[in-house]
Amino acid sequence: MASISLKRLNKTYGPLTVVHDIDLEIADKEFIILVGPSGCGKSTTLRMIAGLDEISGGELRIGGDLVNDVPSKDRDIAMVFQNYALYPHMTVYKNMAFGLELRRAPRDLIDAQVTAAADTLDISHLLNRKPKALSGGQRQRVALGRAMVRNPAVFLLDEPLSNLDAKLRGTMRSEIAKLHKRLSATFVYVTHDQVEAMTMADRIVVMKDGRIQQVDTPQQLYDRPVNIFVAGFIGAPPINLLPATIARRGEQFVAIFDAQELPLPSHYDKARIAAYEGREVVLGIRPENFHELPPADIPQQHLAPFTAIADLAEPMGSEVHLNITAGGRNLIARLSPRFKVTIGSEVRLIADTGQVQLFDKDTERSILH
Amino acid sequence: MRWLRDMWTKEGPGIPKDAAKKHGLALFADIICREWWEMVKLNLLFILASLPIVTIPGALAAMASVSVALVEDRNVYLGRDFCAAFRKYLWQATMAGFIMSSAIALGIYATVTYASLATGELVFAVPLAISLAVTVFICVLACHDLVLMVMRDLPFGQRVRLAALASLAHPLPAIGAIGFGAALWLVHILLYPISVFMPATLNFSLGMFAVTFGVHRAAVESLSKVTSMRTSRESGAGAVARRSMNANGGSLRCIRIQSPGYSSESLPRSP
Repeated sequence: MASISLKRLNKTYGPLTVVHDIDLEIADKEFIILVGPSGCGKSTTLRMIAGLDEISGGELRIGGDLVNDVPSKDRDIAMVFQNYALYPHMTVYKNMAFGLELRRAPRDLIDAQVTAAADTLDISHLLNRKPKALSGGQRQRVALGRAMVRNPAVFLLDEPLSNLDAKLRGTMRSEIAKLHKRLSATFVYVTHDQVEAMTMADRIVVMKDGRIQQVDTPQQLYDRPVNIFVAGFIGAPPINLLPATIARRGEQFVAIFDAQELPLPSHYDKARIAAYEGREVVLGIRPENFHELPPADIPQQHLAPFTAIADLAEPMGSEVHLNITAGGRNLIARLSPRFKVTIGSEVRLIADTGQVQLFDKDTERSILH
Repeated sequence: MRWLRDMWTKEGPGIPKDAAKKHGLALFADIICREWWEMVKLNLLFILASLPIVTIPGALAAMASVSVALVEDRNVYLGRDFCAAFRKYLWQATMAGFIMSSAIALGIYATVTYASLATGELVFAVPLAISLAVTVFICVLACHDLVLMVMRDLPFGQRVRLAALASLAHPLPAIGAIGFGAALWLVHILLYPISVFMPATLNFSLGMFAVTFGVHRAAVESLSKVTSMRTSRESGAGAVARRSMNANGGSLRCIRIQSPGYSSESLPRSP
């Protein structure tokens, strides 16, 4: 049982508070990812869980036990660092065995554990080599293997893929996800890459300025962001955020942007929207919610024409990222690669408002969720 | 200090899993390049362990044990493995070392004697050739015996028989390895005093590694024969046991076949 509980956890350096009273419950065997921009306190939080940074206030429990003052080595955790932190003078085998050696584990056990971890990670052929001969991906596997041999209840991974090239990062992402399923351990993973977070996590913790913004499943974060920061952080290309005014049209509400009316779907809570009638809000619309033609699978009442000026087309192979300007705002639309457009000319698109987000302009919190 | 940082962070070329395996001299050079520092430490350990003189055979066996691990690309905890092997093989190696070194000394004495006689009478060239061949054969046999000793626990007689068979089957790699070891010492002598640190740093361990590398394949083949013989004997015994069971109306009788001193370690890989 390796659930982790953070209650009003904070970290201060003199007058500077870098983590503000975080509350977080991580279930046993869960893969949770802390994500956020640099300096948001995600690594500090991880290091406090690891016992590498002292906890300034609050409670940290692992498996139900209060571990605020428990040394790192006694917390039954293993950590994988961004730079792998392999000992350059030791072979891969010795790097992996080091933790067990320190604990004076029997040699047979060490051998069995190292061999098993090496087989799992497909690095058996590297066991007698030194890190200097290994590629980034191989080093990363060794670092994972070193964490695995101790058979810990909790794995803490601090941006383990940041030093890898894009292709290898993609491969290792899926391997770590598979590894989590195989090991059935609790994984706490820190990254600033929202693609990593979206593809691997059971739940994502979005952090900003030392505070948790939202904790939810990847899809929920994408579909129901609680504020502008989460909406903007999750998704690539990022969500288009436009100033709009709410107006009533009969029983329905519309968001007016650049003199273009975008009907708000009827399934949204009208009472919440009504409070903003006549007021300016921030309208969020994802790039994939623009279409060159009306899609057949989306109800007509959710579709509205949207006119803009085409600035730049970025062909991505499977799609085109079309940079457009409307109302003095730059927007991005994800369109079919077959869609032909003349740069500098007006382009008529269809906006699917069924998935739009509305945010309070002052508090930046979602009006809908 | 950048080189120090690079040691930790700079990525290497990587080692492909399906890369073609090196063989022969390429593998020999590759292992030396990779493990040269381990060999320096091994050399120092050997010198330390040999200081009481009478412990030289034990130290040689311990060095051979570590060298076998290097040849087989197994992980080595140098100090711990060396000491463990030294303790384990001290008596066996001392006994075998006494017998082998006596035989070699006798062979050298006979060769030198016949060589001096052959200068006077040509008829002594025949015993000279025989004694020289026998001495070389004993040297090769001693190399195989030492490596077999650290690869598998076998009774002395069986081990010597296997070593003799291996020496007959594959004498050239062992002779080459002995020649390599001799060349190391020759270089040391020729380049003295530039090479003054060679014995303290590499000569013993590199020489032993060369011997181990040279005889390893033959040793593996000999041991695999023992294993196959043992397996066939066991399967034969199994058939006897089954027949016996049938004769006794199905009552179970345990028949245990055991080769004395034969451990159940898996066979080492051949380089």
